[in-house]
Amino acid sequence: MKRLPSAIFLLVLGACRAKEPSAGSASSPPTPPPAVPAPVLGFVDETRGATPVEGGILRRRLVGEPATLNAVLQSSLPEQQVLQYLARQLLDFDARLLLVPGLAERWEVSEDGREYRFFLRPREVWEDGSAVTSADAVFTIRQITDPKIPSPVFKPLFDDLELVEATSPTSFRARFRNRDALHAYAFAMPLLPERRFSGRPFAKARENRAPLSNGPYRLSSWKTQDAIELERNPRWSGPPAHFDRIVFRIVPEEAVAYRALVEGTLDETWIDQSLKERSARDRRFGACCRTVEFYNLDYNYIALNNRSPLFSDSRVRRAMTMLLDRPSIVRNLYHGSARIISGPWAPDSPAYDAAVTPLPFDPSAAAELLDSAGWRDTNGDGTRDRNGREFEFDLLSSAGAKTGSEIDQVFAAELARVGIRARVRPLEWATFVERIDRGDYQAASLASAASDANPDPFPYWHSSQSPPRGVNNVFYSNAAADRLMEDARRELDPGKRRDIYHRLHRIFRDDPPVVFIANASQKYAFRRRVRGLVTSPLGLYGFWPGPLAWWGIPDDSVAGGRGQ
Amino acid sequence: MTRYLVRRLLLAIPTLFGIVVLVFLLLHLAPGSPASAGGSPEAGRRVSAAAREEMRKLYGLDRPLPERFVKWIGRVARFDLGESFVDRRPVSERIREALPATLALNGLALFFTLAIAIPVGVAAGGRPEGPFDRTSAVVLFALYSMPLFWAALLLQTLFSVELGWLPLYGVSSDPAPAGIAGFSDRLAHLALPVTCLTYASLAFFARLVRAGVVEARSQDYVTAALARGLSRRQALWRHAFRNALLPLVTLLGLLLPGLLSGSVIVERIFAWPGLGRLYFDSILSRDYPVVLGLSLLGGVATLAATFAADVAAAIVDPRLREEA
Repeated sequence: MKRLPSAIFLLVLGACRAKEPSAGSASSPPTPPPAVPAPVLGFVDETRGATPVEGGILRRRLVGEPATLNAVLQSSLPEQQVLQYLARQLLDFDARLLLVPGLAERWEVSEDGREYRFFLRPREVWEDGSAVTSADAVFTIRQITDPKIPSPVFKPLFDDLELVEATSPTSFRARFRNRDALHAYAFAMPLLPERRFSGRPFAKARENRAPLSNGPYRLSSWKTQDAIELERNPRWSGPPAHFDRIVFRIVPEEAVAYRALVEGTLDETWIDQSLKERSARDRRFGACCRTVEFYNLDYNYIALNNRSPLFSDSRVRRAMTMLLDRPSIVRNLYHGSARIISGPWAPDSPAYDAAVTPLPFDPSAAAELLDSAGWRDTNGDGTRDRNGREFEFDLLSSAGAKTGSEIDQVFAAELARVGIRARVRPLEWATFVERIDRGDYQAASLASAASDANPDPFPYWHSSQSPPRGVNNVFYSNAAADRLMEDARRELDPGKRRDIYHRLHRIFRDDPPVVFIANASQKYAFRRRVRGLVTSPLGLYGFWPGPLAWWGIPDDSVAGGRGQ
Repeated sequence: MTRYLVRRLLLAIPTLFGIVVLVFLLLHLAPGSPASAGGSPEAGRRVSAAAREEMRKLYGLDRPLPERFVKWIGRVARFDLGESFVDRRPVSERIREALPATLALNGLALFFTLAIAIPVGVAAGGRPEGPFDRTSAVVLFALYSMPLFWAALLLQTLFSVELGWLPLYGVSSDPAPAGIAGFSDRLAHLALPVTCLTYASLAFFARLVRAGVVEARSQDYVTAALARGLSRRQALWRHAFRNALLPLVTLLGLLLPGLLSGSVIVERIFAWPGLGRLYFDSILSRDYPVVLGLSLLGGVATLAATFAADVAAAIVDPRLREEA
């Protein structure tokens, strides 16, 4: 019987790949350490002074399969990752968070700040040779604003649109109902070819899985749940991308992606803290791969439902912030690679004022705040109470968020010491979200992911945006903050707008809507052969040119491993 | 016999209807909806109530539950499983894409499981409490207790990363070789997932066969066979095993639909594009049409296999026909 499993392996042994020499194997000759940066915690630009190498294949990882490659319908990171190679945007963010020309070579804003005119580059074409026109731009924006079309990424950005129309084959104008300095951010959007969709049901069009490219690459094949392959777009006239082919492999599990990286069938993957620690001890990893770590604009927080009698008092919310031992969380859970925040932005956002120091971890001061708000243990049961109501609540978290759950446990333990009972309740993601969206919660662990550079806090914290109208689902309401958020939107001067944000930041610290926690570092692992990485507060991908600037050298050149 | 078969067939219809109604109700009454399933814990999520309401209308979720059920069952009656909420493609197309990968994986796993479990079960049952029986019991239970996730990662580390003998994940290499090399490449990709599925179900089958053989070997016909001069091996295989096969056949009838259901853990770890992953992802994203389509497929397959097992049992055991 014991021989039988071996028989399975023997059956396929002939079919196995030949074992190619890999970096770090015992038979490999000793190789000097490659000249690439050691793991860093900061911003990287490897393109400076470097000469890119042309050709080869880049094997990237997708955590899940894109549901669509229609830029308007996109709703997830895998879709964004693939579309970045296929669909050029009207405007782009660069690595410093600035809006830069894309398909539009320039744009003008009317004096009242309501109307935008865009002028397209005349020589931009789709992969079939037809020109990219203003009709495509108008069509795309009209699809986004069509109530029958789900466009979760772009629809909120065009909520206020009054009209959009072509003014010539290469120019169009878009007018909004209200003045808003940040309307320009909406145009960091890809375009769709109008004539390919005309007369067809948009959401079910064949093009959604076979998009027409106007970017540096075009779709070569899509094997469902397995891989998506891109090849160079011969009609691309922009700056050259360096790899001949991009292969996206769909690998849902982190641990498997890590092994694939070491084995050489993937060139990059996102890693978590535990894999980062493992990579530091892993000899095979060190020989072939490296980690890249940097801060982006994401942050996490514990949402407190401001409508709840428990958290409606600003003093209680301040006390909750002072009861979360954030320095210890950064030290022990994030192992130092996170920054405590004092407001609703990450420290690298221009809206963040570094002078606004976070509230300290101070249980005694927090207890005094709770006392002053009327929450005292009057019945001697060990739990604070007020008007007959005990201070106890469910602290919801998503079952998939490991760090979030750990923070909740730390928080609940700290609260218990001052007489507050918090019950940590992990919920399945869709169930969790439904509770948050309905406002049917008291406290919950949440994260904020900034997919663009827009720092506008209005949709998330302005009192007019409480559900059902908007997404201020903590029901925060502060008249002074409301006024400043409105002023910031109207202010066209970036310097003055930043000053308003800084004043706002102080309010968010002193009258916190939630318990702001930290901006944790992002961690990625790369094969050493991949060069030209540039990191940004928008991550590795969310800006131009991002991954399109990467190039690859043969593995053999870095560590005696597999070549292409 | 015909009366028996017709009765079994007629019973299958309300059973299937019951399954479908139950799945439909459970799915729609469970918390969460397609509108709340977007995003991820890491990425965060901000969708307004207005946007959610638009999505609900788009998917027809604003309609009353009975109306949705009647509409869905009406489509099913026309062999139309509807469209996926996620990518708006026909559900039948999504199932068709994932079916071959799951059939290949689970079919091979079942084949190897039986190929190993039957000889092991017969040998162990031939001498109960003997050295082989005791050793095999320990080994089988050790395998049975090994968590699939952990074992799969261990096998990947050993055979793919350390030794480089077998591919780590996926159905084929990039680029996939053509011809015989391509076939071999696909077999190599099957090796580790098939091993995982095989070892996990080995103990169950082997112990079942063993129990049947132990019971049969004490029967008079086995003693008679030995008295006729048959060797112990011949008596075991020709007489004891054949009678021990009956519960196995019945059980196989129930297990065959499992060929279609896939294995979520194995398919996720080995990035295998099968029905298990499709089912799992569809539940997470509340893609109701796909979940209902797959449940219906599973229900039909279970009933068909049960029916086939009933027929087989009736053929093998005349008492069943007479009772009917």
